[in-house]
Amino acid sequence: MERKAQGRAARAAMATAFGVVMTFGGALAAQAQDKAEITFSYLWGGAEGAALEQIIADFNASQDKIVVKGVSSPDMTKQLASMSSAKGAFDVSDNFASNIASWSNQGILLPLDEFGIDTSDFPESIMKQLIVDGTLYSVPIATHNFQLVYNKKLLDEAGVTPPTSMAELADAIKKLTKVDAEGNVTQLGLGLTDISAGLKTLGYAFGGDWNRDGKPTPTDPNFVKGVQFYYDNVVAPVTPAAYNKFVAGFGPYMSDQDSFKQGKIAMVFEGEWRAKFNTEAGMDWGVVPVPGETPELNGSTWADVSTIFIPTNTQNKEAAAEFVKYLISPSAMEKFSHVLANLPGRLSLVDSATYDDIPNFKVWLDALKNPNTHGLPPALYMAEYNADLASAFDSVLQGSATPEAALQAVADRTGSYQQ
Amino acid sequence: MADTRSSKSEPNGRALFKGLAFASPFIIGFLVLYAWPILASGYYSLTDFSLFKAPRWVGLANYERMIADAKFWKSLYNTLFFTFVGVPVDIAISIFGAHVLNQKLRGQPLWRALVYLPSIVPAVAAGFLWRWLLNAQYGFVNEILRWFHLPQPNWLLDASWGGISVIVLMLWTVGGTMLIYLAALKNVPQELYEAAELDGAGPLRRFWHITWPMISPVTLFQVIVLLIAFLQVFTQPFVLSKDPGLGTQTATGPGDSMLSYSIYLFQNGFTFLKMGYASAMAWVLLFVTLGITLLILWSAKKWVFYDNR
Repeated sequence: MERKAQGRAARAAMATAFGVVMTFGGALAAQAQDKAEITFSYLWGGAEGAALEQIIADFNASQDKIVVKGVSSPDMTKQLASMSSAKGAFDVSDNFASNIASWSNQGILLPLDEFGIDTSDFPESIMKQLIVDGTLYSVPIATHNFQLVYNKKLLDEAGVTPPTSMAELADAIKKLTKVDAEGNVTQLGLGLTDISAGLKTLGYAFGGDWNRDGKPTPTDPNFVKGVQFYYDNVVAPVTPAAYNKFVAGFGPYMSDQDSFKQGKIAMVFEGEWRAKFNTEAGMDWGVVPVPGETPELNGSTWADVSTIFIPTNTQNKEAAAEFVKYLISPSAMEKFSHVLANLPGRLSLVDSATYDDIPNFKVWLDALKNPNTHGLPPALYMAEYNADLASAFDSVLQGSATPEAALQAVADRTGSYQQ
Repeated sequence: MADTRSSKSEPNGRALFKGLAFASPFIIGFLVLYAWPILASGYYSLTDFSLFKAPRWVGLANYERMIADAKFWKSLYNTLFFTFVGVPVDIAISIFGAHVLNQKLRGQPLWRALVYLPSIVPAVAAGFLWRWLLNAQYGFVNEILRWFHLPQPNWLLDASWGGISVIVLMLWTVGGTMLIYLAALKNVPQELYEAAELDGAGPLRRFWHITWPMISPVTLFQVIVLLIAFLQVFTQPFVLSKDPGLGTQTATGPGDSMLSYSIYLFQNGFTFLKMGYASAMAWVLLFVTLGITLLILWSAKKWVFYDNR
């Protein structure tokens, strides 16, 4: 009898629980049906993805008309493929400024002008990358620039002060580069964690530009000088073979085996996201603006942009635009950029006290207002040009071509680029 | 018997219809998933096409562009290098390994399973594994070379070793070919060896005059299968050359030494959005593969021995 009673009680409890779940689920479904659902597919993952999910949750909590579903999808090819169909898999997504011109030319980005987005607070160097033929196709959620990050401990040991001119940089590289008795490099004065970003930065520091007035200019004499500087001061003194053997031992970027964290390189051109990593890794580090060849060129760098866009094949452009406006609102942008230690895309946030707790962040923030921070004009050929530049830089570091010859080879290919 | 009679008495048209109906899953699948894309790519190769906009007819311009495209030639050269070095080495190692596995060894099934094991490891995982094995500073491969006082190359960051690294990774899955050769060796009649031994033939002569001809049909099959695999190689060089720690984001390796034909085709199609050019490249690869395959089949008359002739 007792067992039967227990069975009845268990069945009753299960039925009640089922009823509650169905009622609650039904209520939720009904509520969701009233709202326009859109999908935000983002390339970020990990901590960045978690930060975005929090912002999405904030938006959803503030809304009674739109509900946003966040999806982390770091595959850019998949992102592109999704935009080729009549109905895409997402309504809002992110990418980098370098793709905006090409994608807008393909007709896969929705023009944003009709949604009344106020762009007056965005830096000019940023906006010139996002407006194609007078039409706004994308908006910044975060920006990035490169400065000279250094390992304080290694500089102190070598008696080197952070360089403020190109001559001081050359001298510091010499003092900070170490080679053992067998000719093996044990420490590089100036390393490259991103070859292209580092050498492009040096090109600007010499007053060069690799993409002037919307045209590829790989043989710009001052740009060539920047690449030559790296070869002459870093690679040639230790030989290309020894340089590449040492670089082969670098571990994954921003991991425990990261070359800068391990003290294998003393100085490096790095973006602002490094501030958080270096600090959390317990490093004693500092940062100075990129030294210029002349005083006027001090602080020369270039800005890249993490952008938000709406694909043409969205099924709900009004709701998507509403969410985009929220993402780039001062509060959401500030929250997002602070968690990631990325630079905000708004000038009004440059002096925000929110970033005060990120060590040395001000050097990157100040660069947003610096006229020596270059923006890249939109160009259709950027992906192919970047691939060719990467090959050219590689052949310089291999010692198989001079900077002049390697970059001339790129110039020879630019004729086939889509203009 | 009754069934046979009934099918014999069925009208031809009805039998044909039934046959087609049963074969229709394959026929429809072939037409939609193979024939149509192949024909479409032929058309796209004559157009300026980006996936997103309607194709614009350009005639043979994509094919003409290849002639002046240095990277196209570099990728073709690299791929032919992988193929003409990799395939013979693969065959040689497979035949040698099959002979070893054919011996009466203790724990023979285990050895056979072990040589096949790499073939079931996903290519991407194997690529990441080999990136560490071939690391010039910390890799096991250089460590072993150091024991023997041999030169330790910078496998992944020296242009002259980049292509060889790709071949090494391709050869890692040699076990599959080896097991097919093992089966072929088992089919060689033992009496031929016994007769040759009585005539005083040594191991090399027995191999050259008995084993090699008897396994030559398998060799022909393996050469063609491997040839196609090497000409289409993508994953191995793509993974080996892509190491964020080194800042190389080009997937082309040092001095573009790992730029395979398929990688360059992929870049054109999905990174540079030049789908028309990528389609033209695909057709050129088809004809290169076809040309080499026909050449091998033509030469097979001279070196492949069929027992039933």
